[in-house]
Amino acid sequence: MIRLMLTTALAALPMAAVAQEITVGAANMAPYLDPGRDHSNVGSQFYYNSFDTLIDRDHTKLEPEWVPALATSWELVEPTVMELKLRDGVKFHNGDDMTADDVVFSLNRMMQATFPPYVVRAKDRLGNFTHAEKVDDHTVRIIAEREEPLWETLISLQQIMIIPEDYTKALTGDPDVAEDSDFEAFAMAPVGTGPYKIESFQPGERLVWTRFDDFWGEQAPLQKVNVVQIAETASRVTALKTGEADIVTNLAPDQLALVDNDPNLKTEGSATALFHVMIMNQNHPKLQDPRIRKAMSLAIDRDALNEALWFGKAVVPSTHTMVEMGALHQPDLVTFEYDPEQARALLAEAGYDGFEITYDTAPTYYTNGLLAAQAIMEMWAAAGINGKVQVKDKWSGNDPEMMARNWSNPMYFADPFGSFGVMWAPGGPSQSEGRFNTDEDYAEKWERFRFSTDVEARKAAYAELMERVKEDPAVLPLYRPFESWGMQKNVNWAPMPGHIPYVLDFRAGSISLADS
Amino acid sequence: MASLADIVARPRRKGHATPDVVQKIALAVAALLIFAALFAPLIAPFEPLQQSLLSRLRPPIGFDRYSPWHFAGTDELGRDVLSRALFGLRLTLTLAFAGAVIGLLIGGTLGLIAGLVSGWVEDTIMALVDMQIAIPFTLVALLVLSLLGSNITVLVLVLGIAGWEQYARIVRAEVRRLSALPFIEAAWTAGAGPVYVATRHVLPNLVSPLVVQFTLALSNIVILESTLSFLGLGVQPPQPSLGSMVGLGRDYMPTAPWIVLTPAALIVLLTFSVQITGDWLRDRADVRLRER
Repeated sequence: MIRLMLTTALAALPMAAVAQEITVGAANMAPYLDPGRDHSNVGSQFYYNSFDTLIDRDHTKLEPEWVPALATSWELVEPTVMELKLRDGVKFHNGDDMTADDVVFSLNRMMQATFPPYVVRAKDRLGNFTHAEKVDDHTVRIIAEREEPLWETLISLQQIMIIPEDYTKALTGDPDVAEDSDFEAFAMAPVGTGPYKIESFQPGERLVWTRFDDFWGEQAPLQKVNVVQIAETASRVTALKTGEADIVTNLAPDQLALVDNDPNLKTEGSATALFHVMIMNQNHPKLQDPRIRKAMSLAIDRDALNEALWFGKAVVPSTHTMVEMGALHQPDLVTFEYDPEQARALLAEAGYDGFEITYDTAPTYYTNGLLAAQAIMEMWAAAGINGKVQVKDKWSGNDPEMMARNWSNPMYFADPFGSFGVMWAPGGPSQSEGRFNTDEDYAEKWERFRFSTDVEARKAAYAELMERVKEDPAVLPLYRPFESWGMQKNVNWAPMPGHIPYVLDFRAGSISLADS
Repeated sequence: MASLADIVARPRRKGHATPDVVQKIALAVAALLIFAALFAPLIAPFEPLQQSLLSRLRPPIGFDRYSPWHFAGTDELGRDVLSRALFGLRLTLTLAFAGAVIGLLIGGTLGLIAGLVSGWVEDTIMALVDMQIAIPFTLVALLVLSLLGSNITVLVLVLGIAGWEQYARIVRAEVRRLSALPFIEAAWTAGAGPVYVATRHVLPNLVSPLVVQFTLALSNIVILESTLSFLGLGVQPPQPSLGSMVGLGRDYMPTAPWIVLTPAALIVLLTFSVQITGDWLRDRADVRLRER
């Protein structure tokens, strides 16, 4: 009897020594979960734990190093056709085996989209791909319209993570047809192949992950993860201090000392691959003269904002570029700078008569967003611009009355196309909202930037695009914000340089819990 | 010195017209605050919107890292907390006065009509009063402000509508009571019209209860304005009001509590002193009524 108890106790030991369940206090919880239609900073936190792409990358490295995921190998059989061999023995969370049909279905739901939210996402980044087709049970082909300089980059996008065909089609209506309502239903009950299955999901409130035992790769290190929305910063910090949460997201720089000074807690952070930008409406009747918009940017002392609001931890660039873009990173370009004297001169030339220029911001959505807005108004005032902050939760980027506002341009994938490109392409989201104009010259430069197979040609074309932005600005970056996560000392986790912004990567090797 | 408990427990002493110690202090504080609000531009050491990004979050006088002349410290943009609080007090009091006056005009007029004209007019007005009492007004205010957007005009109107029903009830009751008195009956008999009776005979007798109600409403409106601004639906940044200062500063409560404490202390002082002043005025008014 005693022996039996001893064995039981011993068997239980490794389990007891490491708590395998954690709670994450997140500033925002997604309203739906579908990697295909989503490209928000909120959703991007969650997909990588539950879904896989065909090709993945080593996220510990800044430079892209492609690694097999659901595809074990891939090659270009023609410049416009990629053939991928699929991994055997991959299971979805619902028990279905992953087949070539699931892969073709997942790719074509975007590449030949009919569901409107997919159409939008596919157009802005997957527009060059016409369709995917099955070759045999283990092989699929992806067909591009034109020679594609960014094959692996685009095939590893969150938007074409693989989902199960039969499960999705059977969610509503006819089980053999993919209706719009099927995709709506999928977004409430998502199923993937990743190491954590989504046990329960309450939109805007909470998400529970449990370890998926049939995962094809290395087993997930955590048994269970609860993600709870805690919107207020002060409440998140409190939850961390009381031990209610093990990790909390989105700590403002002003709060870091509070967490770091606690002997049981620590913070991790990085200059996120995302720009907080100022957008200006080219078509607002009062802002049509580009000199006024140039002055609005020249008046902003971005380094002062960085020093004061981010304690110097943000990154202030001189153009729309990031080190993550590798060969396409062009830090020498100067698209904007701080020069209040020139701002005054341009305003005088343009005959600015002191009319009010509004700057919209949401109260809390962007870290330091409202503070930066108010500080910018003071900088404007110093250069003679009569600015006014308008605080509202509603997105005003499509409002013809919008004059200027803050926004973010995340790096959706590691290329200038994935950051500046997605938002500011001819006919892209900014132009279709009516605040940005392009012409033939811009489109021609754009084409060379997007499709040249020679890296130098792409760089040159991008530099020309930046010159256009400088001459007639509709968007200019402010800085790369420094985003921080707070956590208990026993949690080993940090954001990794190879991910898109905000990903909570809890896969094997990315997180561990120390004995405590 | 009498404590708060004494005041609460104190039986209403009729004929007690001179203020006791607490009331004297309250009167002095109220006068001081109103004075500070009126002369804020002269007293405040800094411009309320003037930022200094390099001296953000400095603590008040007497602490480490104190920045000279920022007696109550600086806020998250390096603005002077004391100056902002004084201008915030000024704006909050202005809004409260404007709101209370609007409430008085609406409620007083409707109450007077209800008291003088019986029948369906009175029934309708009193039904409106009952509705207003039944609905939690903070919710209505939130709804209106989120639908119409928050600007000062809408905010003042909302604050005005907040307390009108109290005036209406008081005025109607007083008019009813006065109507039965001989001098009013005499006026009616002499052929005076309702407008003449209302302005010459009724209104002068309503002044003291209305002054009392006005004072009490004032502190309620200060609280409502602060609540709305705290929730981000009232005064918009960068303009300071006491409530918005508390609201925007709450993320800094653990690290820079002075940002919240200064305006919060002013809200407490203001509502407390105005409320006690109102009580005192009510006592005096009671006396007058009894002496008549």
